[in-house]
Amino acid sequence: MKDIQPPRLAMALLQRIAADNEPLVGDLLEEFGARQSRVWFWRQVLHVLLIGSLRNGREVRPLKLVEHPSALQARRPDDRFRVGPKPVNLSGSPIPGIGGLGLIALGTLVTVVSPQFWWVALVTILAGLLFGIVRVLLRRRQDPYRAGHGKVLAG
Amino acid sequence: MTRHLLTDFELMILLATMRAGDDAYGVVIAREIERTGGRNVVLGAVYAALERLERNRLVTSEVGDPTPARGGRAKRFFRITPTGIRAVKETRRALVALWTDIPELKGSGA
Repeated sequence: MKDIQPPRLAMALLQRIAADNEPLVGDLLEEFGARQSRVWFWRQVLHVLLIGSLRNGREVRPLKLVEHPSALQARRPDDRFRVGPKPVNLSGSPIPGIGGLGLIALGTLVTVVSPQFWWVALVTILAGLLFGIVRVLLRRRQDPYRAGHGKVLAG
Repeated sequence: MTRHLLTDFELMILLATMRAGDDAYGVVIAREIERTGGRNVVLGAVYAALERLERNRLVTSEVGDPTPARGGRAKRFFRITPTGIRAVKETRRALVALWTDIPELKGSGA
């Protein structure tokens, strides 16, 4: 029988949620090698996810796309003023406690329950963009420095 | 002295750990419970229970060497402590006390 690999998504999820439990990940891989069942592996990973979420309910671990060392160092008070690049939040979530996966789940839920919401969101975004452009144009016209600079250049 | 009465799953894990001896790590413990208990076991639940038992000092653990068969990941071996053995005995005594003198269970051979 040909050996199959564990599902990549399940494996990525497992490495994310059980990053600090190397023996558990090793055990799951070992048992997967014996069983060769993707369904079994997915079931195990989802249980680990469930147990982890019940146990660490308050811990916020948004889906990170970039691991940046200063993100952890900045939590220490003496390192608050550390000079260096700021961590980049690529999880796309401005809301504490809701990471990238949470936003994906929210988006899916909205699409299923009320897909017409996306039109409202789109119109709102376009209206915001239009409002921003108009404000920038108005400020440019009223800016005395720019107006004077324009005259100097013209003269 | 604090009395430790275990849940059925904790009891099974401790007994499986004792049966496995020096080779008691997650996979072996789970297989032992599946074989003798006739139930499907989730490895994450085994580890959650083992960590709880370790916090209560009923088991100790040590990490072995990484092995290539597990993608370079180490095994974590568990061993029951004297407190754990005492907890198993106390739980057994409590279960037997509950078991006795129930007419419906007499003569069942269980």
